[in-house]
Amino acid sequence: MPEIDHNKLDEVVSELRRPTPLDASFDRRVMRAIRAVAMRPLRLISPLMPMPRWRVWSAFAAVAAGMLAVSVIPAFRSNPAQPVQFVLVAPEASTVQVVGDFNGWNARHAAFAAENRGGGVWTVTAPIPPGHHRYAFLVDDSLWVPDPTAPRVADEDFGHPNSALVVESAR
Amino acid sequence: MRWFLGVVALSAMAVAASAQEAWRARLDSELDAATRVAVLAMVDSARVARLPAMALVNKALEGAGKRASGAQIVAAVQSLGGELRASRTALGHASRPDEITAGAHALHAGVDANALGKLRRVSVGRELTTPLTVLTDLVARGVPPAAASDAVITLTQAGLRDAGFSKFQQAVRLDIDHGADPASATRIRARGAVIGRGGAPRG
Repeated sequence: MPEIDHNKLDEVVSELRRPTPLDASFDRRVMRAIRAVAMRPLRLISPLMPMPRWRVWSAFAAVAAGMLAVSVIPAFRSNPAQPVQFVLVAPEASTVQVVGDFNGWNARHAAFAAENRGGGVWTVTAPIPPGHHRYAFLVDDSLWVPDPTAPRVADEDFGHPNSALVVESAR
Repeated sequence: MRWFLGVVALSAMAVAASAQEAWRARLDSELDAATRVAVLAMVDSARVARLPAMALVNKALEGAGKRASGAQIVAAVQSLGGELRASRTALGHASRPDEITAGAHALHAGVDANALGKLRRVSVGRELTTPLTVLTDLVARGVPPAAASDAVITLTQAGLRDAGFSKFQQAVRLDIDHGADPASATRIRARGAVIGRGGAPRG
């Protein structure tokens, strides 16, 4: 083991302990730098992120653009709905509701409640997304009736037949 | 740019995930706990297998809407799950979700899986949702599955478009409603549609 020169060591320690002379503007410059960072929080967190700052900003922009695209701009929507008219002739009916895949088989969906247009002709026009759908008319909240003019679906799993509807995409 | 598009896609996926939460909430409110657990397990399996899982959700909601028992709902969803798998196998793994669903309904009606495969082979690249929907309708109206399949395959091969299939379905329906034999009405209307396309009728 090499021998330690204590005199040399004392010299180094005393040199390190000697106060560093600072000019009068040092405090002011430090505080200005801190305030500048505080004004731009992204600078504060950017050292923590393994990506350049422009990428962080472009990510924010992209998220905003994505949300706008899928929620506002119809062309970007995966399922732009098409208006479809449903008609049932049911002179004795008190209420007629269209119920199907497109409204989660919800018999209380107000947009699918048909109106009596006179002569027992019940009709409603509702927006339906493109695709293959099954549906039926619910008459007086108790009688399930397939659409007599639409293709049938042979899926009477629950004792009542359904009709099929294929809605084309507008594009 | 790739980075930007990636984040846009992730945002779109986030919105899709919120839509998924909506149907989960509907299942929660419409089904009892045991039925819900069984249905969600089948829905998740279908999603993992990349099958159109919404068809199973819709089947469960239909059962709830029609006041079916939990056992009936589970059985119907299970049956449809098997038919979706068989439909995709017959139509090909590149088939669209709506085609797979329409094919599953055709299988449920009694159409042979080989007929679905043949339909795909004669119409590569053509969207088959409407032809499959018409095929199911014909069988549901009493046309024997083999005769219905032959007619739809012939019409697809002849290049009949969706609007033509809709007219064909309406004509056959009216004939049957007026008392015609379902198989005869289908055969005769299919010949007429092929002639209308400028093709030579078969048989």
